[in-house]
Amino acid sequence: MKTPFFQRASARRGSATTLVLLLLLPAFLAGIVGLKAATDRVVRAKLPGSSIIYVPSGKLLKYSTFGFRSLAADLIYLWAIQYFSTPTIDDRFDHLDHVFAIINELDPRYQDPYEIGALIAVQDAHDVRTAFTILDRGAANNPDQWIYPFEAGHVALMTLKDYPLAERYFERCMKIPGAPAFVERLRANAIFKKGDLKTSWETWLDIYDKAPDERTKKIASNHLYNVKAAIDRTALEEAAAKFRERFGRFPDDLEALVRAGLVPRVPKDFDGRDYFYNPATGRVRTAISPWRR
Amino acid sequence: MKIGAIAGITFKEAQRDRILYLLFGFAAVGIIASRVLAVLTVGDRIKIIKDVGLASIALFGVLMAILIGTGLVYKEIDKKTIYTLLAKPLHRAEFILGKYLGLALTLLVMTAAMTVIFLAIVYAHTLKIESGLLVAVAYVFVELLLITAVAILFSSFSTPILSSLFALAFYLIGHLSWGLEAIIKKMGPGAGRTAVRGLYAVLPDLENFNFRTEVVHNLPIPPAIYLSSLLYGVCYTAFILGLAVLIFQRRDFV
Amino acid sequence: MADAVRIRNLRKTFRLGFIPRSREILRGIDVSVDEGQIFGYLGPNGAGKTTTIKCLLDLIHPDAGTIEILGRPASSPRSRAALGFLPENPYFYDYLTAREFLAFTADLFGLGREAKTERIARLLKLVGLERAADLPLRKYSRGMLQRAGLAQALINDPRLVVLDEPLGGMDPLGRKEIRDIIVRFKDEGRTVFFTSHILQDIEMICDRVAIIVGGRIVKEGGLRDLVSEKVLFTEVTVAGLPPQAFAGLGESVSAQGDRVLLKVYDESRVDEVVGLVHDRKGRLLSLSPRTETLEDIFVDTVTRA
Repeated sequence: MKTPFFQRASARRGSATTLVLLLLLPAFLAGIVGLKAATDRVVRAKLPGSSIIYVPSGKLLKYSTFGFRSLAADLIYLWAIQYFSTPTIDDRFDHLDHVFAIINELDPRYQDPYEIGALIAVQDAHDVRTAFTILDRGAANNPDQWIYPFEAGHVALMTLKDYPLAERYFERCMKIPGAPAFVERLRANAIFKKGDLKTSWETWLDIYDKAPDERTKKIASNHLYNVKAAIDRTALEEAAAKFRERFGRFPDDLEALVRAGLVPRVPKDFDGRDYFYNPATGRVRTAISPWRR
Repeated sequence: MKIGAIAGITFKEAQRDRILYLLFGFAAVGIIASRVLAVLTVGDRIKIIKDVGLASIALFGVLMAILIGTGLVYKEIDKKTIYTLLAKPLHRAEFILGKYLGLALTLLVMTAAMTVIFLAIVYAHTLKIESGLLVAVAYVFVELLLITAVAILFSSFSTPILSSLFALAFYLIGHLSWGLEAIIKKMGPGAGRTAVRGLYAVLPDLENFNFRTEVVHNLPIPPAIYLSSLLYGVCYTAFILGLAVLIFQRRDFV
Repeated sequence: MADAVRIRNLRKTFRLGFIPRSREILRGIDVSVDEGQIFGYLGPNGAGKTTTIKCLLDLIHPDAGTIEILGRPASSPRSRAALGFLPENPYFYDYLTAREFLAFTADLFGLGREAKTERIARLLKLVGLERAADLPLRKYSRGMLQRAGLAQALINDPRLVVLDEPLGGMDPLGRKEIRDIIVRFKDEGRTVFFTSHILQDIEMICDRVAIIVGGRIVKEGGLRDLVSEKVLFTEVTVAGLPPQAFAGLGESVSAQGDRVLLKVYDESRVDEVVGLVHDRKGRLLSLSPRTETLEDIFVDTVTRA
């Protein structure tokens, strides 16, 4: 008669373990979920994958990709996009050229990174020299693409106001078969030291209308966006400053400027979105990073 | 034909290996996930899709060739099914070639299936089937045929784990040997440079079969390389299989 | 009579291990098997039986010596065109059915489609696997695998059948079946070469035997020549009389319960013993002369070598 007792006892022990587990497991699961949420909230200085920065050169990476160079370039580029658009990483632009150099080395004919790298350099990092480095590399690796010396010339003309440099770039651009006709005009402008937003707008609009493919159209539209944003921003901020002179404080919103008669209407950006206005500082900025449109 | 008979049962046997379907599953997921990955990029989305798709086919194809190939001959020896087999009026070379053919056939089916999924995803984006992609996949397959021969070579005298490592090493060396060219340029004339030159000539250059970057960028490929790469692949495969037959021929089955 | 198998001066040394140590397994084997014979190849474990067979089948390359099968050197695949082989423990592709496996085997001999289907059906019937023919081999019992192995060994209608321990691990009924099959081979004109431990079966069916010990043939000859008809002793079992009744005879006496066992070594005294039992009113339960068996010869040979 002992056997049934033992059986019951071991069954009891077995069910005790099950009971304990039934209580513990959901608790662990809740812990996992909660802790993940808490860890996510902690702001981290670096994005995962940032060890890319410490790779000495693209040449080294070329050896370790074993026939998957294109893919590696793609993945690093995808990572770079996330990395450079993370505002909490303060020093992210320190390695801008290094990262894009690696991408370019892995896949020299991959066009997007040259564009976007230069755009990030000019717009976000305010580092014109890096923009030139990237664009020069793009031109060296892709001598058939007129867009790189063109963009470099454009930066020289508009941002640096270095007219001889601009002229040299536009000259180089003109020599590439397929370069648009207005490059001649731009070169002339550079010679006559005319680098203004109006010319820029006309140039890019011309390219946009006559764009032979989607890519050129997109590039042109990005530039148009930037020019309009620059024009609008200047106008709005000047108006806000005048408002402050008149009324002693910055306006609460942009409509106030219209009511005060300082601007005819509140402009929207190139895509039809509103601009962000900060009443404390009177500064205006775009709702979206221009190169992420 | 006897080689055909052995190829047939090898094909049947390979189909039963779960690793095949696992790797195929990964490849399919990879190709389809490329679509998701492409959303993250700024600029040309189709490039990401093509790169990930071709890389998936190449990578998982190589893994299939190695993981299944290295077990093929070893299993026969280990399970002793080879005794009844070689007791037949069969040259040992016929056995090796039959095994190779069976696995090559398996890989052909798998590669074709992966390619269909890949082309479907690309078509969904571009509404085009580009012949360049087919060329890239075709030469990936030539590379797979060579790797299969290597896997079988090692399988004829070594355990599956060691064979896999050796075959993997062959693959890695094959994708690194192009770097020797740069080293040769930097070396001064002498015995060292001749030695490295010899090495460079003999070591496998698997980059000869890699047209993936050119195809994705629509760059022109010189027509001469199609033939010379193909012949290189055929020749090297024949060499490896010849080695395999040589080693297998001399083996005692204790 | 032509030689089905001719082995001359076969030598093989194995070098095993990381630091190679040589072990000489075959030290000069000479064996001849006539056509139409049943030849038994005996020896203790490790003597080199399986190694000899593997040399026959070109699975192992000899260091020295020649092997001819039906007139052709064993190193040529064609020597195996008329050969059928059943290994010790059947190892087959376990995902194939018996029918598929036989079809594959037939392909390896280059059989045409008609011959293939006809022979597969006949062989499945012969070995009694008709009903299980379409089950995968991994579902087969040991006995069934053995039978499938036999079928595959016969697919090419071989002139020489080589069997490595065909009777091992089978129950008495199975052993009888195999013995009958082997005898039938001989009736069909085939030559049979097989190794075995089970000496009673060898004694029952072999024409000729060879005993290999330590890599050498130590005894070879026709079975009738090796095993004489000499009576070693006569066993007598008696009931109803005490052992002391036979004490005076000077023969070996032992008791088991109420029976007395006698071993009478001198043939002429058997009548005396029987008379004694009759006089004393005992019961004679059995009387069996024990002749020299193959086992006796085997044990004697092996211990002497």
